[in-house]
Amino acid sequence: MANHTQFGFQDASSPIMEELVEFHDHALMVALAICSLVLYLLALMLMEKLSSNTVDAQEVELVWTILPAIVLIMLALPSLQILYMMDEIDEPDLTLKAIGHQWYWTYEYTDFKDLTFDSYMLPTTDLPLGNFRLLEVDHRVVIPMESHIRVIVTADDVLHSWAVPSLGVKTDAIPGRLNQTSFITTRPGIFYGQCSEICGANHSFMPIVVESAPLNHFENWSSLLSS
Amino acid sequence: QSFKLLGFLDVQSVPCARESVLYGSLGSLVVGLGHFLATSRVRRSCDFAVGGFLSTMLGYWFYCRYNLAQQRIRQRMLKEGMQNRMLFEGSYLDPERNQTGNERSDS
Repeated sequence: MANHTQFGFQDASSPIMEELVEFHDHALMVALAICSLVLYLLALMLMEKLSSNTVDAQEVELVWTILPAIVLIMLALPSLQILYMMDEIDEPDLTLKAIGHQWYWTYEYTDFKDLTFDSYMLPTTDLPLGNFRLLEVDHRVVIPMESHIRVIVTADDVLHSWAVPSLGVKTDAIPGRLNQTSFITTRPGIFYGQCSEICGANHSFMPIVVESAPLNHFENWSSLLSS
Repeated sequence: QSFKLLGFLDVQSVPCARESVLYGSLGSLVVGLGHFLATSRVRRSCDFAVGGFLSTMLGYWFYCRYNLAQQRIRQRMLKEGMQNRMLFEGSYLDPERNQTGNERSDS
């Protein structure tokens, strides 16, 4: 999860998020170069005497057309690569349905057994010592690590959004519509997210917690829950 | 604590950022000073210094990020190879077992 003064991304826990973080660093470096150049040109123009003698500037016009085009290509190529990578359809190992309600999530694992449960935020008064306020839930979404997970997101009442920043996932939950997203967790751990579409009074109080565990732990958990 | 250049680029946590900015500064100094020593033109030397900064910084950035990407791919392949070795050791998929089998058949 993010700490209280964090501006940057959380540590990536999926290959797509790793790529997004790399692209973001690249974009920031390009932005630094552009900002440095603009700052220098600004300082230069502030010191220059005003003149209205310029009538023709073919060379500089060529430069300030070609250079931005190169910058845009430098940004567009990795961006499109990641965009298409995010839309790759691969055979999922597990399909999970996430249904948004006011103000909790319902998860359904219906691949092998009918496993359904609701996930409510733990109120602060009931929070065990050391747990994260407004982020912990009573039932986490447990998934096997390093497996391709497909999540089908929808909603029961109003718009919600299922988001887990460290996995690079954010999918709108729209009533009457099924949206699909997928991810692979590269490591075991607990990943937090929050509802990302305004949905009423308790919009900030319906978090998402994904627990990634080795396959045998996932199997134990699912058999415990379904029994 | 992080140091953010121009308020947004965290040079300490972004891989290759610190080296890019430092090499860019060095390149800027070399090109700008060199041009000034050669021509004694201050304004043009400043232009060259900024140009040198941008080209050195971006040049090193692309070189460093390319090497980093290659390293990450090699790390992934190594990790997968180690996992596969543990999984397939002793089975027909074990590449070391195939080599040992060939040596036995040759002798």
